Amino acid sequence: MNILHFLGSAWSFEPWVILFALALFGAYTLLPGSRLNRKSLLFSSGVMLMVIALVSPLDHLGRNYLFSAHMVQHILLLLVIPLMLLSGIPEAAAERALNSPYAGGLIKFLGNPVPAWLLGVGSMWVWHMPSLHDIVMANEGLYIAQQISFVLIGVIFWWPVFAPVKTARLSPLPAALYLASACLGCSILGMLITFAGAGLYTAYANPADSAGILSYIRNELCITPGVDQQIGGLTMWVPGCLIYLAASMVTVARWYASPEPGSVNTCTAESEVTTDLKLKEATERE
Amino acid sequence: MSSRIPLVPENAAPLPSLKENNGLLAWVASVDHKQIGIMYLIITLVYFLLGGLEALLIRIQLAHPGNDFLTPEMYNQLFTMHGTTMIFFVVMPFLIGVGVYLLPLMIGARDMAFPRLNALSFWLFFFGGILLYYSFFTQSGAPDVGWFAYSPLSEKPFSLNKGPTYWALGLLASGIGSVASGLNNVVTILTMRTPGMTMRRIPLFVWMIFVTSLLLIFVIPIITAAFAMMLLDSLLGATFFTPAHGGSAILWQHFFWGFGHPEVYILILPAFGIISEVIPVFSRKPIYGYEFVAASTVAIGLLSLGVWAHHMFAVGLGNVANAYFSLASMLIAIPTGVKVLNWVATMWGGRINFATPMLFGTAFIIEFVIGGLTGVAIASVPIDWVVTDSYFIVAHFHYAIFGGSVFAIFAGVYYWFPKFTGRMLSETLGKWHFWLTVIGFNMTFFVQHFLGVMGMPRRTYTYHDMPYWGSMNLLSTIGALILGLSAIVFVWNILVSLRNGKPAGDNPWNAWTLEWATTSPPAVENFELVPPVRGRRPLWDLAHPDQPDEPGAKIV
Repeated sequence: MNILHFLGSAWSFEPWVILFALALFGAYTLLPGSRLNRKSLLFSSGVMLMVIALVSPLDHLGRNYLFSAHMVQHILLLLVIPLMLLSGIPEAAAERALNSPYAGGLIKFLGNPVPAWLLGVGSMWVWHMPSLHDIVMANEGLYIAQQISFVLIGVIFWWPVFAPVKTARLSPLPAALYLASACLGCSILGMLITFAGAGLYTAYANPADSAGILSYIRNELCITPGVDQQIGGLTMWVPGCLIYLAASMVTVARWYASPEPGSVNTCTAESEVTTDLKLKEATERE
Repeated sequence: MSSRIPLVPENAAPLPSLKENNGLLAWVASVDHKQIGIMYLIITLVYFLLGGLEALLIRIQLAHPGNDFLTPEMYNQLFTMHGTTMIFFVVMPFLIGVGVYLLPLMIGARDMAFPRLNALSFWLFFFGGILLYYSFFTQSGAPDVGWFAYSPLSEKPFSLNKGPTYWALGLLASGIGSVASGLNNVVTILTMRTPGMTMRRIPLFVWMIFVTSLLLIFVIPIITAAFAMMLLDSLLGATFFTPAHGGSAILWQHFFWGFGHPEVYILILPAFGIISEVIPVFSRKPIYGYEFVAASTVAIGLLSLGVWAHHMFAVGLGNVANAYFSLASMLIAIPTGVKVLNWVATMWGGRINFATPMLFGTAFIIEFVIGGLTGVAIASVPIDWVVTDSYFIVAHFHYAIFGGSVFAIFAGVYYWFPKFTGRMLSETLGKWHFWLTVIGFNMTFFVQHFLGVMGMPRRTYTYHDMPYWGSMNLLSTIGALILGLSAIVFVWNILVSLRNGKPAGDNPWNAWTLEWATTSPPAVENFELVPPVRGRRPLWDLAHPDQPDEPGAKIV
């Protein structure tokens, strides 16, 4: 099959994707404070990107041919799209949710840095265990669960840093540490996959070639299973880590932009004045 | 008498003299950060001279083709010891030591958070160095496998002598000390700041030490574990790094460079800190873009963890891996470039006083940019394949570590010597030292770029008489001898100035950070009074209450 033909035809508008996207849209319109503005635009672009990631040829490639395509999709679903969704939630809605008795407690629990970090980094490690990955690829129901879990866990992971309610966020330096350590967690997995040697994920060793593009991938693009696994591991490691890194730089920038909490001195004014005077005397003596 | 053993000396005399009763004990048993800092500086000076001597012997051997001044075995030992000494026992401990001395002073504290841990770090470093150098006196001689000790060369059956074992043991000990000082620095910076000294007002030197310390905590354990595995291999017959028995030699390279590349930033970030203190003071302007200098440090620290495989382009990791690492490595040029622009912008329009610290600071910027640019060049895989393991690499990292870190160290020594000792270093000798260093350094290392491109391999005890190789190497050796002369001038300056130097006063450079608010040398308790901190330049705010740095911080 011609590659252009493949790119044109390998779109699969599966019902669960559409339903999931519609559910997200529906929930969003019900949120208090949602109106057409920059935030809602961000949210809907997030949903659109999610739909594209799940129905486009990227999905087909990731499920049938290339581990690296799966990894690109994975980074989009776990890191990029949830950040867009979360940033699109209006502050009023998040505030009300936090104050409601049941949902609020759940959000506060999941949005704690420890569970959020464990879920965010853990989802990478668990879903990429080779045996589990092979099972998921062969099982439609598990596959759907995996994709949805990426998006939801992604939102939870970003919550402590980019929650719409500022009081729910970590302060900037702990936030930078939170992100840097997550970066380390995903880098180590990326390294393992990159340097593990070919054949970690057996599903990609001999694809069924349903679309007839295998010879193109192997011979024209020269992507052997070993190279494919390396690209996948490196995608998780380098661009994946750069997302965390960019986010930690955002927290540092935010920190410098915010008013200084310690600008009022903690010691009493009187003692300061005397200190100043004594010091001035001392300098004059010289 | 025994009740007077001054574990924490409390008399007004700043530092105990060795000639006093129990004088030696007052040093050996000290947990005072200033004494420990001074001991770091003295020991690193000794190692600097040793490492320099080794370099001179190497250069004399290479002065003309086919020279037999040194045996190949001796040559291997010397270049191994030179690299190891300069990195682990000169630049790194100097920066740790100057940090230990200055951190509490700069943030207005009495001492480090963990004074005993501080002493432990120093003594681990001290005995680690002795362990390493003791290998010269053993039958088989010093380690001879390069400062990177690649497997399988460092393993049986290629290394049957005990050199690499001493190497690993010595570095293991001093590495544990480095992790401890990293922890100590981080806790001190986070918890011991005087009121008003927020994290956004700490001097940039403290910022750099903070990020460096986090790097120490993260990356030294990698190499420490690798040393333990190497020792298991050589002493207990394990085979972690021997491919013949199922181990992996490449694994050693990953461990080594996983540590080794961030190590480069451990060597350069505090140097950036020194420069960020010196340049504003001698340009009479506040640093341009404090936030950018600080934030770019964080970016460098994070990026540095993920680029080590650019040391391994020739290993055969595959084109994809090489391409990723090449790109990631080039990214580091961005935050580094931000810093260089900030320094230049600070100097721009300033009333520059070219005293010796500023001379070294200015030369640092130029030399380091050269080293940085060749670094970006060899981050490109094809260029790296051509020049790797050649003298081009030698030239590159000497421009980064000598032209960068060591120049900054000299700037720092001239800048803070008055604070450490109460006496100024001689400006005349300082200018001699500076010009001899600049001329000697560039003469030694600039030609090595050409030698490298022409194919002269590194780590080889001699070379064939190829066109121009002999003359260029001779030039390089003459440069090295000039550098040796400059080191003598430097030591002479220190010795003369300690005795007869001009008294410094508290703040000879009219600087703005807190260490200059106390006496020179600082009294035992550091400060009688810590000036109020309402901005990034407390002493400026104090002297100019009508025009403080931060709006709303007006005094009285």
